[in-house]
Amino acid sequence: MAVRGIEPVVLELDRLENLAESGYYNPYTMFDWPDAIEPDLPWMSESLVTLAGTPMWDELSREQQIALTRYEAINFFSLNIHGIRELMSEVVMRIHERTYADVSEFLHHFIGEENEHMWFFAQFCLRYGGKLYPAQPTLKAGSVDHLSPVARELIVFARILIFEEIVDFYNARMATDQSLPHIAREINRVHHQDESRHVAFGRMIFTNLLEQVAKRDPAEVPVVADYLEQYLQYSIGTLYNPAAYRDAGIPDALALRRQALEHPARKEAHDEVLKRTRRFLAKSGLETEASK
Amino acid sequence: MTSEPMQEVEKFILGRNPELDHITRDLDLIDSRAINSLAFVEFIFLLEELTQEMIDPEEVDLDDFRTLDALEARFFKKESA
Repeated sequence: MAVRGIEPVVLELDRLENLAESGYYNPYTMFDWPDAIEPDLPWMSESLVTLAGTPMWDELSREQQIALTRYEAINFFSLNIHGIRELMSEVVMRIHERTYADVSEFLHHFIGEENEHMWFFAQFCLRYGGKLYPAQPTLKAGSVDHLSPVARELIVFARILIFEEIVDFYNARMATDQSLPHIAREINRVHHQDESRHVAFGRMIFTNLLEQVAKRDPAEVPVVADYLEQYLQYSIGTLYNPAAYRDAGIPDALALRRQALEHPARKEAHDEVLKRTRRFLAKSGLETEASK
Repeated sequence: MTSEPMQEVEKFILGRNPELDHITRDLDLIDSRAINSLAFVEFIFLLEELTQEMIDPEEVDLDDFRTLDALEARFFKKESA
């Protein structure tokens, strides 16, 4: 693990560690998994599906609408699973590096909790959806290999933070959506609860590493900002899975995806999802055209 | 002459790389980061739409995506034949 040229990351994490300890729960026993879910209930909030607010949603039959909420819930939870796999592997590789020695106590909580989240998301998908959607293909050739080691570290933790903040936008809303089945609401609620600590930690480590990048070579800061703006757009795009449209019985999935992504109502919805994160990035000094 | 789907492919790449004014047929699109990992998924969806064929993510051979020539040979030869 190349972390040379990076100063040790020292953060005040006592409060977050105490909260992780006092709020610890057993995920394997805390959920009451029903054998089946009521057939006429949406699994994802209707206002959060990728066609919400467009004529494409109104043109669907009620059966297709309900089916789409279900497959998009499976897609959303699958994205959580793949995102957690990626972030866990990154954190595991760093946990006892000298750079992260001071934060390793919290990282242990973090990995443990993320592993548990992955378990309950997968339970939901496999019990009720019978599958996970596969991870999208990636290029092994890194798009940030040309940056300094510390900028690459920043990007690792920035990706984790952005992923968590986007997911949390959805979790927070679905945690209280009374139209959803109880088990779907519960999973979103529990995840939202843990993620608030992870987001707080993510912002602290992000700020520390960004300061190091800016000190070493300020010219890398706008390059990181542009990459992260692309990552925000990429993350939004993963919510629009043509396989979910096909599974819901909607024809021309790829054309529909393209039209939905470009629809003004959806662009407004994307801005709403990303508002908090863009504001944080801009406040940190990573302003891009899109965040202005 | 560049076929219509290949024009769409070039349009996609140029749209994401404003610093490029054209793409040579043998430019390594991956090593040059003209297509980076964040754009790759969208690029796959574009190819699926243009070819009307699904691409199995587990069967992706990166060499098919490296240059415009390789892309044309792998995805569009049948159409131009």
